[in-house]
Amino acid sequence: MATTASLTLASADIAGDPVSVSKTATLTKAGTINDLDQSTGLNRVHLRSTTNKTLLTANTEGNDLAAKVYIINKATDSSLYVTVTINAQTVGKLYAGNFMFIPWSQTDTAAAIEVAATNWTSSTGDIPVEYALFHEDTDFLTNA
Amino acid sequence: MATTNATIALTSGVTDSSLSVSNTTELNTAGTTTGVNTMTSVTKVLSSTNQVDLITTGSVATTHAYVYINNPSVDETEYFHITIGNAGAGSPTDTEEIGRLYAGDFMWMPWDVDDDICITPSTANDMTVEYMVFS
Repeated sequence: MATTASLTLASADIAGDPVSVSKTATLTKAGTINDLDQSTGLNRVHLRSTTNKTLLTANTEGNDLAAKVYIINKATDSSLYVTVTINAQTVGKLYAGNFMFIPWSQTDTAAAIEVAATNWTSSTGDIPVEYALFHEDTDFLTNA
Repeated sequence: MATTNATIALTSGVTDSSLSVSNTTELNTAGTTTGVNTMTSVTKVLSSTNQVDLITTGSVATTHAYVYINNPSVDETEYFHITIGNAGAGSPTDTEEIGRLYAGDFMWMPWDVDDDICITPSTANDMTVEYMVFS
């Protein structure tokens, strides 16, 4: 039933000595040791819009609850990126192959997670984006 | 140019058919195949519930970075509010909450270095936060 997330950061040459950091987290409900028990599963969309599109709609019932979001840009052209915003606040740009894994608070209904294929053109082709949400609320829907 | 890789693995038994996802990405500068060459690694102990600038835009010289933040606490009541926004000159109020990093949780995200990343502990106990920035 448990959901685990593991991250490994490794470099042989970014510092004088090799760097290796590994972390595994078991995803739990807010402030407890109980496992998160709901998920959207893995989803895939194809972005072809330079303006923001809602990936995950915020629900204020989730404000005090735990939720984790995974998003990856599956493009192969290194120049193509996806801009990720929360409530119109830019978080960062996912370039081809980049992923993110973040906790998500839904402080209000405006706290949606939105994505835009900011430098998309008709000649670049769609940008495939995959995402998953793990959460605990019963009324927590996504509307890709 | 350095070569730095980030690998994530997600496994979940929440659904009837279990989910398993694994991906590795090379950390490159914006829009290139050139690896990032700067790394910062910090551990801090915070002893109040005041919001503080954890990672300031002035600490990074590029417009694209990768951020790792870890809450190593084992006390499930100890979490951090992670926010991003216009922290301004010592007044980090105009910020958007990304999420709460509960005990044992980590986060990994790209950062466009437009706004500071701020943090607010849930308790005034000595709470340790660890973070790394690659740029």
